[in-house]
Parts: sequence; structure tokens; C-alpha cells
Amino acid sequence: MAKASKKSTRKAKKIDPISLQVIGGALHSIAEQMGNVLYRMSYSSIIRESQDLGAGLFDAQYNTLCESDSTPMHIGSLPGYLRGIEQTIALKDWKPGDCILHNHPYFGASHSPDIAVVMPVFFKGELVGFSANTAHHVDIGAATPGLIIDVPDMFAEGMLMNALKLYDKGKRNESVWNYIRNNTRVPSLVMGDLEAQIASAELGVRKFQELLATYGKDTVMQATVQLMDYTESMLRREIDKIPDGDYVATGFLDDDGRNRDKTLPIKVTVKVRGDGVEVDLTGSSPQVPTAFNVPFEGSTKVACYFAFRSLLLDTYTHSEHIPQNEGSFRPVKVTAPKGSIFNPIPPVAAEARFCQIQRVVDLIIKALAPVVPDRCTAGNAATLSFAAYSGVRPSGDYWVFLEVNEAAMGGRPLSDGPDTIEELMRNTRNNPLEDLGMHIPLICDRYECRSDVFPGAGKFRGGQGVIKSQRFLTPGFVTHESDRHKDAPWGIFGGKEGAVGKLETYNSATPDKVTQNYAKFSGLRVEPGDVVSYISPSGGGYGDPLDREPSKVLDDVLDDFIDVAHARDVYGVVLKATDDGYDWGLDLPATQARRAEMRR
Amino acid sequence: MIRVGVDVGGTFTDIVLERSGKSGKQSIFVHKVASTPADQSIGVVKGVVEICKMAAVPPSDVDMVFHGTTVATNMVIERKGAEVGMITTRGFRDILHMARHKRPHNFSLQYDVPWQSKPLVKRRNRIVVDERLMPPTGEVETPLNEQQVRDAAELFKKRGLDSVIICFLFSFLNDDHEKRAKAIVCDVLPNAFVCCSSEVVNVIREYERFSTAAMNAYIGPKTSLYLRNLEDRLKQNGINAAVRIMQSNGGISTIENSSVRPVGLLLSGPAGGVIGGRWTGAACKTRNVITIDIGGTSADISVIQNGELRIKNPRDTEVASLPVLVPMIDIDAIGAGGGSIAYLDPGGAFRVGPRSAGADPGPACYGKGGIEPAVTDAQVVLGRLDPEHFLGGDLKIDPSLAHKSVETHIAKALGLSVKDAALGILKVVNNNMALAINANSVAKGIDPRNFTLMGFGGAGPLHATALAEMIHAKDVISPLHPGITAAMGLLLTELQYEFTRSVLIVANNAGDKDYRDANSILAELKAQASKQLSADGIASNKQKFTAIAECRYVGQGFELRAAMPDGPLSEKNIGSVIKSFYAAHKQVYGHAFEDQLVEIITLRVVGSADVDTLKLPNLKKGNRSNPAAAKLYVRDTVFDDGKSVKTPRYDRAKLLAGDKITGPALIVQHNSTTLVPPKYKALVMAHGDIVLNRGK
Repeated sequence: MAKASKKSTRKAKKIDPISLQVIGGALHSIAEQMGNVLYRMSYSSIIRESQDLGAGLFDAQYNTLCESDSTPMHIGSLPGYLRGIEQTIALKDWKPGDCILHNHPYFGASHSPDIAVVMPVFFKGELVGFSANTAHHVDIGAATPGLIIDVPDMFAEGMLMNALKLYDKGKRNESVWNYIRNNTRVPSLVMGDLEAQIASAELGVRKFQELLATYGKDTVMQATVQLMDYTESMLRREIDKIPDGDYVATGFLDDDGRNRDKTLPIKVTVKVRGDGVEVDLTGSSPQVPTAFNVPFEGSTKVACYFAFRSLLLDTYTHSEHIPQNEGSFRPVKVTAPKGSIFNPIPPVAAEARFCQIQRVVDLIIKALAPVVPDRCTAGNAATLSFAAYSGVRPSGDYWVFLEVNEAAMGGRPLSDGPDTIEELMRNTRNNPLEDLGMHIPLICDRYECRSDVFPGAGKFRGGQGVIKSQRFLTPGFVTHESDRHKDAPWGIFGGKEGAVGKLETYNSATPDKVTQNYAKFSGLRVEPGDVVSYISPSGGGYGDPLDREPSKVLDDVLDDFIDVAHARDVYGVVLKATDDGYDWGLDLPATQARRAEMRR
Repeated sequence: MIRVGVDVGGTFTDIVLERSGKSGKQSIFVHKVASTPADQSIGVVKGVVEICKMAAVPPSDVDMVFHGTTVATNMVIERKGAEVGMITTRGFRDILHMARHKRPHNFSLQYDVPWQSKPLVKRRNRIVVDERLMPPTGEVETPLNEQQVRDAAELFKKRGLDSVIICFLFSFLNDDHEKRAKAIVCDVLPNAFVCCSSEVVNVIREYERFSTAAMNAYIGPKTSLYLRNLEDRLKQNGINAAVRIMQSNGGISTIENSSVRPVGLLLSGPAGGVIGGRWTGAACKTRNVITIDIGGTSADISVIQNGELRIKNPRDTEVASLPVLVPMIDIDAIGAGGGSIAYLDPGGAFRVGPRSAGADPGPACYGKGGIEPAVTDAQVVLGRLDPEHFLGGDLKIDPSLAHKSVETHIAKALGLSVKDAALGILKVVNNNMALAINANSVAKGIDPRNFTLMGFGGAGPLHATALAEMIHAKDVISPLHPGITAAMGLLLTELQYEFTRSVLIVANNAGDKDYRDANSILAELKAQASKQLSADGIASNKQKFTAIAECRYVGQGFELRAAMPDGPLSEKNIGSVIKSFYAAHKQVYGHAFEDQLVEIITLRVVGSADVDTLKLPNLKKGNRSNPAAAKLYVRDTVFDDGKSVKTPRYDRAKLLAGDKITGPALIVQHNSTTLVPPKYKALVMAHGDIVLNRGK
């Protein structure tokens, strides 16, 4: 007892830097282990291969103490879930061994397929925090298999779980378990994935308790306070370097998936004041009647936090390691009017939200580009292609496959935009085509850089987009969530714009009869041999193409990213024929002359 | 039996020779020569010949040469491998360009994508051909267009490529197309290094398999040339010993195998050091050791926990951010060593490394034309390396050159004294190393306060105490021969070969055909392992085999290892495999589902044989304090607090077991100097290893 009182007197005392580093490292490691258990143990490819998940520990005020380094969309969304759950379960009502499922878009969830598993962490009889994770589930019994676009309201999203107690003091509620099993199209995947989530949360509980036992509760909790303060101060220091002011950028989305060709405006105003910043989304589209709305707490806010972390505390250019915790959220305030696409009012559905928040991040970058030219990018693809492929096997069981298709980045101050990559808020892994082929009646016919356009020209060119063509071997359904068939990624500082995306369908027997589709559609029926071909946008260029290193232009010709005419017409680089197996080499004098003429 | 270990570092090549007489008496000789980066084999052979002379052994009497090489690794890091051509399935030109489409940083806009900015195979050399295999059986949907393969090979020939990979989708189900294409390519390019993805690693997941094949081909031509040169050069010098090459997993392999599959050599260099570290830790009665091997160019960090090497999960094994599906020890490398150059970057920031002076020209004090100051120069300026004892005086160093270079490039530019500039160089380089140690320990949940830091490599014992303070390690070990710990580790490895094959059998529903298939694969894998062990001269009754089934629940994506029964797999004993999997699942994830189906994905056979291990003699007991008999002389030395102190030098060769030395002191030996700062106590252990503790 004497020992405990002695500890409490030290409560506010700063702990030494070594302990701080050790505890910070241990927390980071726990989150990584939670994430590892979750994806290694899980069944659906969206979790085990794509790693569309997040896991971490939280204190009793719902502050993030640590999160797995998985996908940015999940990182930062869990506090919203916890605050949503509190509206049903008060802090004092948690019991050891409880386990909650939660996915309600109007109570903090990121969107309804991302089900959270939350367990309380007790230490010496006291609630000290939570171990929680989220993972994207293949099917929660929505109107169409896997994903939804054109639905009337949130009730069409499928099972909505609002602080649903699966375990009560360690005892599983079998009725709840069976209810879920009977209301998903793919129980063999969803139930196994939930088991993996529970195992991951249990691991977090155990490891957090071990950490508290090793270092003492006061020391650990004090360390978490200092770690959050550190992260916050690092971000504030960077915001402070940006001149105060209101920075505005605008763009538009294709449509809401029902009212075709009716574009939806997005307006981002970044208000920099000293070492704090507000993102105001006033002026963006009102909410839409389909599922193409964004949950405010679990998605809109998380996107804005992400933008400032990656713009100002870029982990590639910063040598200092900055822990991932609540501190990075504090300097950023987010405003979106109630009833807007970024802060909808129930009961409209809000499941298909990713394309919109990608654009928010990209427009924040665009707005600030003039004052942070050395940290920004040209226009990124800033979209998502989320495809739900499904069908019914002869046994009568559904198969459902969710695929995330990558796109490309815009050119950057010192380097080209990466090609065919997960940009901004997403960072999943693709599903190996071989793994896919072994499990479902879908075969990939093409997966490579798109070859129908050139990437946005610039001193540093935009990244080239992807083309992915999936062929059905048996009849099935497709729902596709995407955007950006109309508003091309912009060039910046003299760079040229990139290219918009496309979504083509055809039957492999008649590959020339191609149908051009809208970026989003619901429940399209397909027959054997039908191919869905996604072609992503390509990034915009950064800087004047005439300033591009001629050897890089030659490389792009040899690597088939551009052709000889484009090199001459846009980059002012003249090539001459060679007989070395590569066919082309640089003609430097002619290039100099041509560039001089073009600059005139 | 005479065995020689040769470890090639960026700066020095270390050699150890062990002779065990019929009486069981063993003697050890150690040696060090400058590395020859242009062709490492020159230094290797020079070292072996010289150490034979030292041991008065005719070169022809050497039975085995064990070699750890950084040839393959350096080629990848410096991107100086082959220009590789790739023939792949139409529609899939960019599998290597897209990787798993995940970017390397979550919170970054300016990140680099190494597989795009520095590809192993350029896009222009990735050529698609018509062919299509269909899952799940591997049946042919589109036959291989052989003319297109031939045209691609002709184009590669015109382009002068000497390395080609053939990577088709689903080749793990059916390798006919890959093999046929390989035959055509070999016909057009008879002297090229050609490999198929299914030969290099026959597993599902196209990117990882293609990347492993690409890596193999990228390092293939130059690595096999190097190994052949080495063998020839050894023979020319009368050394006909069997040559064995260290593999990334701590096992060894033959020159023939390593030439075909160099991808297993990527951690060949550092692996020996970690094994040597484990062994020295055991000799000093500690099973928890953080090893840092500080060479001239880089430092390698690894953790030994409870006496075990950490092997990475094969799903997580990468080299230079590229997946390489071969088993390897968990080792982190950073560009910091004795040759790391100190400079002011264009923004005025004070940096040390990763740029290195290497062995040639080497640090300024070598007087071989090096101008910029290296970490070694800072040590010389501070009086921590005495000219007459640097490499036992074999290599002449000039302190005035070290002084001048630190003064010109750092001190003047920063307005510091030369002493403070030198201290600053060490502070920066030590901090870089401490951060890297933290990343490999603290960040993985290991509390260094319960670990011993073992610094080795020539420069290790000069840095170890400062690093131990920064990471708060329990204590420090300076091994008997710090400069050749990795070379000694080479003599500690056991012969071990692994062979694997994908099977895909649902264990709970296995039928007669499944048992037949599995048993014939097991027999084949065992035969391959046995052939290899026999080639190493291991009698068949000394060969040991362990079979492992890599399993998962049907529908999962990651496998766990389950034990296989002795004898053939059958209906009677498959239950034990399933049980073993449940136990592994429960241990790793805390859960096991006994009502769910278990699928065997891969069979693995490990063939091994116990070989004689290195034995070091015990030193005589001394139990003295600051033994005068070992004292050489006293000279001024600057320690980290900036104070210059009169510091005695002790000759390590004259120290005996149980001797204690109180800091400040320097303990010097032929290939290394151990720094004992003020208030530290050094205790000599039974074999001559030294344990250093902060005085309480």
C-alpha cells in the first residue's frame, strides 16, 4: 500500500527519456502484433491479403495510444467508434471480459462494413482503457453483395451494430453469433474474420496489462501523455511555419450513382492560424440520396488528420520518428455543415465514402501547394476503385470478392509520381492473382500499367495508372464504387494534367464490343466470359516538361510510357534511331535547339 | 582436420584457421587482410595463403574452407547487378513494377518506391508472350507461343543481356511452359544465366515468386563468376579444400548450389557474426545478447533471445525492400562504420555516413589518398587508436593526417576545436547506431535493459560502451577476437539443407491419392537433401532428416509449421499433424478451432548433420587487478566527457582468466582495441572474452 501511494505522488512527474522511448516502442510493438494476428489469422482476402484493417490501444478518455501501421483510413478512426459506443454503454458499465461489436455510421463508425471489435482493459480492478480493432468485412447482408451504391437509406447497408455486446463478462451470446452467421452471404469468411478480430483484441488486452504490470500504471499512462504531447508539438511546429491565411481549392465528383452526370462540388478552405489549422468543407455538395455520403466522425475527420500528417510530417523526408497517436489529431479542426455530403443526417446511407475523402485530401494539398511547393504534389488520382465481384456456387453458397484497385500519384518536387500505387488515404495490398484464381471463379486477364494515354507531363511526370481486367468464369454480379471519370488530376507549376479513369465491360468472345460505364454502379449481372476492365486515372505533372532531364524522357520512351512524338512535341526532346536493340537514343543538339524554340 | 573460415567485410577480410590434431588438441590462428572490392576472391585467397603460413600448414592440407561473402548483398544495395531480361505472360508486364501496390510509407507524399525507381528488371526488358495456364489445375488455356519466346531471346541477345528470367502466372501448378521457354532461351543465349520462377522458389503468389527469381538473376552472373574465380584461385594456390558458402539462414551450401541459387546468399556476410555472437554469449553465460558487428562500411544488428537466433517469417523476408522468399536470420544493417565519412551536407547539417571511405582509399590517416575525415580518424585524434598497434602495426597510420582532415573539414567549418569536432563525429555516429539498435530491439518489444551488448568487428569494442549507455544495455562483451567473430562463426555452423514443395491437401479429408502424392514428394525432398549431405562427405548413417508440414485452416492466407510423423504419412498418423497444427495455432494466436478443416500447403524437409564445433582453450587463471605484467605504456586519451586522461594500455594477449582492469584503460590486440572508459570495470572470462560493467 505504501508503494502505491508513493507512486501516485509521482503521477505528474515527467518520466525519463529512456523509459519514454522503451514504453513508446512497446506500445508500437503491441499494435503491430495485434495487426499481425488479425491479418495472419483471418480468412477473407480483403483482410488477410489486402490488410484492410486497423488495431490499437486507447485510454479511458478514448485517446489513441498506439495503432498498427496498416492503412491510413483505419488509423485514427477508432476513437470515433469508442465515442459512439459511449452513447449506449457508459464507461462505468464496462465489465472485464466484455466484447462489443460496433459499425453504426451515425455513431462514429468509419462505414458499416468496417466492424470494430472492442474489449475493455482492466488493471487491478480499474478500467484503464480499451483494446480495439476494425476490419473490412466482405459482406454484412447489404442490398447488394459486398458493396452498395444506389440504395434508399442506411437500413439497406445490412446489419447495423450499435454497441452490440457479443461477450458479456467473458460469455459469448450465442444468439447474437448465430444472428450474424445467418445474415451474411459468406458466413465462412465473416465468422472466421470476427474470430481473428477477437483474438487480436484479446492479445491487446493481455499485452497492455503486462506493460502496466512491468512499468506501473502511473509511469505507463504518464508516458502516453508525453508521447501524445510530443507528436502534437511536432505537428504544431510545422503548421506554424505556414503563413496565416485562408487557402481554397475546389473540384467536383462525377455523380452520386443514381442521378447520372449531375456533378457534385467539393470546396475545401484551409484556415491556418498560428500553430493550428481548420479545414472547412462549407460549399461542398449537400448530402445525396444514395450511399455516396461520408460519415463525419469516422471518415471526414480522419481524412483531414491524414492530410496534415503526410504533408507536414512526411515520414520519408523527416528523420525523427514521430509516434502514431492522438497528438497528431489535436492541431486540426474539421468543419462540415450538417446535411452536407461530408456530414450527412440519418437515415441516408453513408457506406460508399472513399472517393470523396480522397478528394478532400488532394484538395487540401492543392490549396496549400503555393505555400508549401517543396512538400506538395501535382494532382493525384485521388480516387478509389472498389469492386465487389460475387456469384452463387452450385452448392448454393455465395462467393464474394472485394477488390481494391490502385491508381497513381501526381509529380512531386524532386521525383516523378509513383505509377500504379495506393495513394493518400488507402494503403492496402493487392490480392495475388494466383491466390484469387485458386479460390473463386474469376480469372484476371490483364494487370499492368495502362497504355491508352500518357501520364501527365512535367519536369517530374505524373504516375501512370493501372488497368485491371477480371473475367467471370460463371455468372455473377458486380458492384463498383469509383469516381473521377470527368475531373482530371491537375498539373502544377507548369506541369500538364493527367488523365481521367474509365470502366469498360465486354465479353471475351467479342473483345471489340466495349461498353463504357459510369464509375459507380450497383448489382450489374454478368455472364461467363464477361470482363470488367478498370482503368485508373493517371497523375498530373509537376513543373515545366521542358525542364525534364532528357535522359529521363528517353527512359520513358524505351519503357513505353510515352512515344517518340510525345517526347518531341511536349518535352522538346528529339531522339534518333539506333541499332543496339533499343531502337532510340538521345539527339542532344537537336533537343537543345527544339527546347530553345519551344521556350521562345 | 584443418578448417578455415573467411569472412569478407567492406573494408577487411578476416580469416580464422582451426587445426584439430588426432589427440583432440586444437589450435586457432587468426588473421586479417584488406578486402579487395573489385574481386573479393583476391583478398580471400591471399588471407588463406598467409594464415597457412602463420600456422605452418601446407595449403594442400586444408580440409574445408567456410566462406561468408557480401558480394551478392553489395550488388543489390549498390544496384550493380546484371541487366536482366524477363519473359512473362501477356497482359502482366508490370507485376514487378506494381509489387503489392502498397506504398512503403503510410504518412508520406514524397516517398520513394524502390521497385519502380531502381527496378531489378527494367520495363523495356520485360517482354510478354502468349501463354495461359488456368487454376486450380494448371491446365493450358493458351499454348506457349514459342516463336515469341525465341524473338524475345534474340532481342535480349542484341541488347547484350546475360541474365534472363522466365516468369509465368500459375507456374507453381504446372512448370511446362517455363521449362520449355527456358530451353529456347538457353538455345539462343547458351552462356546466359537463365532461371524460371518455379525453379527458384516453387510457391503461390506471383509477385513474391517473380521478385525472388528476378533477384536471383540480378545477382546470378556476377555471383557465380565470383564463386568460380574463388574456387579456381584457391586451386591455383594449392588449396583443394571443399569450399562451403554461408547461407542467409545460418546454414551452408556448396559453390555449385550457391552459383545456381545465389538468392540464398544475401545475408551470407553478416550471418556468421550472429552465430559467433550467440556462441560467445553462451561462453559468457548470457542467453540474451544484442550483437552489433561494426565494420568499415556498415554495422549489422541482431538480437539473440534465450539463446536462439531470430529467423524471419519467410512471408516477411526482404532485401533492399524487395521480397526474397528464402529463410534468413533477422538482421538489420545501417551504413555506419569505422570508414564512415563525416561531412557537412549542403544544408549545413553535420552528417556521418552512410558514405564510406572503405578500404581504398580508407580513412585519411591511412595516407592512401583519403581526404575527408572518417570515424577512424576521429578515434585516432582522440588517442583511442595508437599507430603502433593499429592492426598490430601491419598497417601504417599517420595521426597528423587524421588531425589535419578533422581540422580542415569539420573543426574549421563549425568553429570547434579539433578535439570537439572528433567527439562530435563519434557522437553522431553512435547515435545513428543506437537508433538502429532500438529499431531492432525496443521497437520489437525487447527491453535492452535485460540484454548484453556485444560489439564486434574491428571497431566494435571502441563503440560498445558508449552504445550500451545510450540504449541502457545491462553490460558489454568484447569477444576474444572482435575482428574475426564473424569468421569464427563460420566454423560453428552445422550442415543443413532445406527443400520444399507446394502440395495443397486438406488433411481432414485426405484420401489414398493424397497420401501417395505426399509420400512421394517427401521421398523426393529427402533424396535431394541426402544427395547434398553425401556430397559433403556425410555418411548416410550420420544424416538426419526432419519433415515439416506448413498448414493453415482452409481459407486462411498464412501457414504455420506442424510436425510430421516419422515414416510415411497415412490415415493412421495424419491426426498427429492436425493436432500439431492446432497446438501451433493456439500458441501463436491464442486460439485454435478444432472443428475446422486444416490444409497442408507446403512440405519441407530439413536434412542436417552434426559436425565438429569450434573449441577454444581455457586461459590460465590470473585473478589479478590491473596486472602490471600486461601493461604496455600510458598515454593521453580523450573520453566522451571531453577530458583527456593519462590512460594505460594493456596487451590483451597477456591477460589471464579472472583478471580485472579498471578504467580508464585501453586493451589492445592485433585486430582491435577495447575502450574501458573511466569508472568501468573489465573482467576477463575463461576463454579470454571480456565483460565490461559500469562501476556502481
